[in-house]
Amino acid sequence: MPTQPNLTEAETRLGGALPHRRVEAWKWTDVRNSVKETASGLVSACEPVFELPSDLSVNRAVNTAKDHAMGTLAHNFSGESYLIDVPAGYQSIDVVRLSGLSAGHARIFIKLGKSAELTVIEDHRSDEAGFVNIEVNYDLGEGASLTRTMTHRDHAQSTRIVTSQINAWASAKVIQHALSFGGGLSRLETNVAALGEGLNAQIHGAYLLNDQRHTDMTSYIDLGAPDGVIRQTVKGVVTDKARGVFQGKFHVRRPAQHTDAEMRHDALMLSDTSEIRAKPELEIYADDVECAHGNTLGALDESALFYMRQRGIPLKEARALLTEAFVAEVFDDLAEDRRDDFMTDIRTWLEANS
Amino acid sequence: MLKINNLTATVNEGAMTILNGLSLDIPAGEVHAIMGPNGAGKSTLSYVLTGRDGYDVTGGSVEYMGKNLLDMEPEERAAAGLFLSFQYPLEIPGVPTMTFLRTAVNAQLKARGAEELSAPEFLKKARKIAADLKIKPDMLKRPLNVGFSGGEKKRMEIFQMMMLEPKFIVMDETDSGLDVDAMRIVADGVNALRSPDRGMLVITHYQRLLDYIVPDKVHVLVAGRIAESGDADLAKKLEAEGYDAYAA
Ligand SMILES: Nc1ncnc2c1ncn2[C@@H]1O[C@H](COP(=O)(O)OP(=O)(O)O)[C@@H](O)[C@H]1O
Ligand SMILES: [Mg+2]
Repeated sequence: MPTQPNLTEAETRLGGALPHRRVEAWKWTDVRNSVKETASGLVSACEPVFELPSDLSVNRAVNTAKDHAMGTLAHNFSGESYLIDVPAGYQSIDVVRLSGLSAGHARIFIKLGKSAELTVIEDHRSDEAGFVNIEVNYDLGEGASLTRTMTHRDHAQSTRIVTSQINAWASAKVIQHALSFGGGLSRLETNVAALGEGLNAQIHGAYLLNDQRHTDMTSYIDLGAPDGVIRQTVKGVVTDKARGVFQGKFHVRRPAQHTDAEMRHDALMLSDTSEIRAKPELEIYADDVECAHGNTLGALDESALFYMRQRGIPLKEARALLTEAFVAEVFDDLAEDRRDDFMTDIRTWLEANS
Repeated sequence: MLKINNLTATVNEGAMTILNGLSLDIPAGEVHAIMGPNGAGKSTLSYVLTGRDGYDVTGGSVEYMGKNLLDMEPEERAAAGLFLSFQYPLEIPGVPTMTFLRTAVNAQLKARGAEELSAPEFLKKARKIAADLKIKPDMLKRPLNVGFSGGEKKRMEIFQMMMLEPKFIVMDETDSGLDVDAMRIVADGVNALRSPDRGMLVITHYQRLLDYIVPDKVHVLVAGRIAESGDADLAKKLEAEGYDAYAA
């Protein structure tokens, strides 16, 4: 048994251990090692900014702590939680926008009543170095439908952990698209629990990382009821000395018969010094299911690049075009305006990094 | 227009010499054909001319319109009007044919300091050429060459060629994979581009393409150099007698 190292100064201020590389689920994302005791937001509350349709409101409430390390910290330092209650049958053309998540701890609970439909656009961004620990909880009532996008871009010296828990009752639907440009150390973790039958979950994402940026996209889909349909496509692009991490797990419990689940992670390495760590996992206890997973790692196709150059397309542009095509697939079925926003950000990144 | 002098080139980090003292002079306005057995170095010549990585020139020179071609990057050669119709056209996943081609056309115009084509101008030209080549408009929306048949890929090469209006055209076995009807359509396209200021090098394994694109000169390429040159009749002789007479 490895002995637990003494608490770092940051951990002493926090009053407990941070996840570190000797914890299996955090082996590639060592939070302990990345957080300095001087980091802004380390022991303070984050004040999120909500833009809401006029018929929704945010309340504050005390909630119990989550039984994981980051959840406990979020509980201890965030003050009261933020709570949005979306009534049964709710529909709106207006979206919920969540921003201001640039430093500190916050806990957010968004509860969708029966058959409610909601679109949430989350902006996880910081312009200065700091520590961010956000817990976002969604509770989806029977037949509720959540459309969620997350964009993430942090200062190069920041640490960000976003832990999402999505609990879905029967026939609920969640479509999530995350786009990350990384930070010093960042993890976007999404946990989905099917509590009722017929979950439809699409948990997609892409990360594009340069310099020494780090993004970890971890997900855990816990299927405890039958007839779930799960689709997951995550694409990664890394260059310079950046590091991308993908950990995906489908846990198909015995009652989850007729689960239809597909997981893909594909990564492009644009430099020899970049890194990808991937761990796709299926754990299946039900016998009548269709589950598949795939994981690839590669470089841009040199022959295709030559072909494009022979047509007059400069190398840099050819690389950008091929990379864009590789990533764009993730966002194919995103609503047009959000897709356009994502693609604009991706093109800007490609112009600077191809 | 294109002057190749005593060219030698290797592949596999110099482990294999493929071109072995090849000389060829193609003036503007002429169409020359290169014929030769499999493995003679025909495709290697096309890649050396277009600057593909892994094909290393170890001797000789290539002058293209007064410039040292071998000094230029592949995209510079393309912008200077050099076009290769690939023996095996590449698939470009995720990039629609029209997007690809518009990027290429505008990149070349930009490199030459010319104004880019507007979207309507580009579309109009593309529609007309596609119709001439009997290419369905639907195909232009699909990612370039992905899932296309061999014949469709070859036709798409000619489509790109006609859109880009190159000055010097190298065609590497454009006839393989084409039936007679498709070959006639392709040949009509190529012949329409014949002009006093344009040169062409038509690489083929079979003589039949040369019934439709009649060359000014025919060269036989064997073991990396030109073994014989002649007029269009030489192609007919090769078709009848094969390449055995040139065996080393
Ligand atoms: N990239 C390469 N690596 C190794 N060998 C090659 C490569 N390209 C061509 N060759 C070899 O060079 C020779 C000539 O090939 P190629 O130019 O394709 O001939 P042709 O087009 O006349 O049939 C062949 O023996 C082929 O195997
Ligand atoms: Mg060949």
